Amino acid sequence: MTFTLLAPATGEEAVAALLAAGPGELAVLAGGTDLLPDIDEGRTAPRRVLSLRRLPWRELNWTSTELEVGALVPLASLERNAELRRRMPGLFEAVGAVGGLALRHRATLGGNLVRASPVSDLIPILLALEARVGLYGAQGERELPLEEFLQSPRRTSLAPGELLRRVRIPARPCAFRWQRVRPANDISQLAVAVAYDPLGGDWRVATAGVAPLARRAPGAEAALHGVAPSDAEIRACADVAAHEAPVRADRRATDPYRRLLLRALVARAVRAVRDRPLESSS
Amino acid sequence: MTDPAALWVNGRPYSTELPDDERLLDTLRWRLGLKGTKEGCRTGDCGACTVLVDGRSVLSCLTLTREVSEEAILTVEGLEADPVGRTVLEAFVQEAGLQCGYCTPGFVVALTGLLKERPNASPEELLEDLQGNLCRCTGYLSIRRAVVGLAKART
Repeated sequence: MTFTLLAPATGEEAVAALLAAGPGELAVLAGGTDLLPDIDEGRTAPRRVLSLRRLPWRELNWTSTELEVGALVPLASLERNAELRRRMPGLFEAVGAVGGLALRHRATLGGNLVRASPVSDLIPILLALEARVGLYGAQGERELPLEEFLQSPRRTSLAPGELLRRVRIPARPCAFRWQRVRPANDISQLAVAVAYDPLGGDWRVATAGVAPLARRAPGAEAALHGVAPSDAEIRACADVAAHEAPVRADRRATDPYRRLLLRALVARAVRAVRDRPLESSS
Repeated sequence: MTDPAALWVNGRPYSTELPDDERLLDTLRWRLGLKGTKEGCRTGDCGACTVLVDGRSVLSCLTLTREVSEEAILTVEGLEADPVGRTVLEAFVQEAGLQCGYCTPGFVVALTGLLKERPNASPEELLEDLQGNLCRCTGYLSIRRAVVGLAKART
């Protein structure tokens, strides 16, 4: 047996187990769809695995301004939420872009963020929406912007003994566009997320498949003004996005192809938010 | 280190030794002898190992058995005795929805799960949610016919 499994019944017990473990000794399991392949391929070799399955962190609460999602909510529960589809189509699309449905029945929102995968489809849309994460530890819960939580691929600012508890997502108009070889069970060559903050009148653009980890594109954001940017503004925004990005080539796509995708998908995503049906802006 | 566990699979109880790190796929095939569930990629990319846990499709290659040992598990062997599963099997037989057959258990189990969850889903919705199941023979046309025929027959 490569590891033993612990399944604490409370957050306090989970944190105590985390604090008692030596470095690299213990891995946290939510849905397991990313951790278990890593264990199989020897990228990590924990002696103990801490399962979160008995923790009740599965809230899915809407307020007039935001969606609160418990860290252990399976992605499939999000895509089956009719209000999510209506109010945040970009987040709905991004959730559906992860793996296949059978994977999304196990994979959790919290797991996706804590694993901080360079190819996550959820990180760009949650960055564009300016999501915040609640971190649970021995001292209680602290909250910080997702952007601060994500440090680099596979690295977050979780302190020792901390667990991702919840994600708070402002309910804003948004869109998500991706390009890949197969629609399901594949990794996006490029993904673009766009959101509009009606209060500040600000646009947010984030991309994945460009830098080592999904990131905001500040130059592209600055090119857009007001609730209904013109087609010329949108073209300028897409051009800036394609130029400013530190694009890399890998086995999934070349640098020139990624820049073409970036220009096309940024423009499409911004237009999708600008031209959204009135209902989804409520 | 391998503690015994009680599992509930296809409506009957099983008792088996169960190491903590064992995948549901391996428990089903090698401890319970239910070899209808297939191992394709073992990385969550192909859907061949799909089973239902509490009525929802999961990839048994990426699921620890201990994580789901308290829930009802349905595999391809249990479909015939399941009302929805039976109609799915009949639709695949009707359209000869297979070539080599290796991906078939994953397809019929996944489709059974979809129809249990969304009995009135359109053919397009069903096909979209089956995108996680791959057929290496590329025998998709007959699978598609089976899915579309089934959806139309139900609505």
